[in-house]
Amino acid sequence: MAFPAIKSGELVTLKDLHPSSPLFKHGASLRVIGKLQEYTVETAIAIVVDGNAILKIDTQHLRDLSFRIGSVYQFIGELLIQPDDEAILQARVGRNVDGIDLNLYHQSLQLLRQFQADHLKNSTT
Amino acid sequence: MDLKFQHTYVKLLAFDLLSLAQTPSLSSSDPIFFSRLGKSLSRAEILGIVTTRDHKPNKFLKFTIDDGTGCISCILWLNQLTSPYFSRRSPPDVRLIADMAAHFASEIKIGVVARVRGRISSYRGAVQITVSDVVIERDPNAEIFHWLNCIKLARNCYGVAAPCK
Repeated sequence: MAFPAIKSGELVTLKDLHPSSPLFKHGASLRVIGKLQEYTVETAIAIVVDGNAILKIDTQHLRDLSFRIGSVYQFIGELLIQPDDEAILQARVGRNVDGIDLNLYHQSLQLLRQFQADHLKNSTT
Repeated sequence: MDLKFQHTYVKLLAFDLLSLAQTPSLSSSDPIFFSRLGKSLSRAEILGIVTTRDHKPNKFLKFTIDDGTGCISCILWLNQLTSPYFSRRSPPDVRLIADMAAHFASEIKIGVVARVRGRISSYRGAVQITVSDVVIERDPNAEIFHWLNCIKLARNCYGVAAPCK
């Protein structure tokens, strides 16, 4: 049974996704978190916000997920960058994470990145 | 080789699990053993979002756990009732194991967060988990706690020679 390797969604904050960032790559598999600001049923496009940053999410492939303005969602998907540098995440997985401690989330993300960087530095194999 | 963690489900982040050293052993019953910084590991606990699911009824459920640091392939066997491996065990026990596995399989859906425990194994050179236990985590903060636990344990327990505090 052949299984195409699926890439891990790299943990990023919406603030990380600006054109000059190394994470802003067409086709990159990312995991994002944000509060739902807007949702259009006809296009299945959601707009999520985290602090001052926003991101468009294409939710057409998601099943069993109801969208409520003001709820916090997490999405895993691939980043599509349009010619005008506007980015949209093609989500393949989404979930409602209402109740998440966003401050703890962001702090833990920093710790996680530091841990991964240290691990790479110390790796002898 | 330190065997302290041989029988414990070591909490590992995906990128850490994928970087374990694999050593082929001389015995054919346990072909490969895994180690991290001189410590032999055989069981692990991972936690992440289920991103793929391949179900072959009464045979197995293969799924992927993405915890944000990497993807781990997991295999849950569903063939207990027909497998010769279980034929010598008492049928009610085998039925219990089979029912539990079937229950786990029904809970694993794309998009849920699952805590998976199992044996670290290898398939076609890639690390995978042979599942023994699954818990679906509904607390949205569960993943954060798992990352923090993994970091703390790696620093205080799995990465040092001194006993755990």
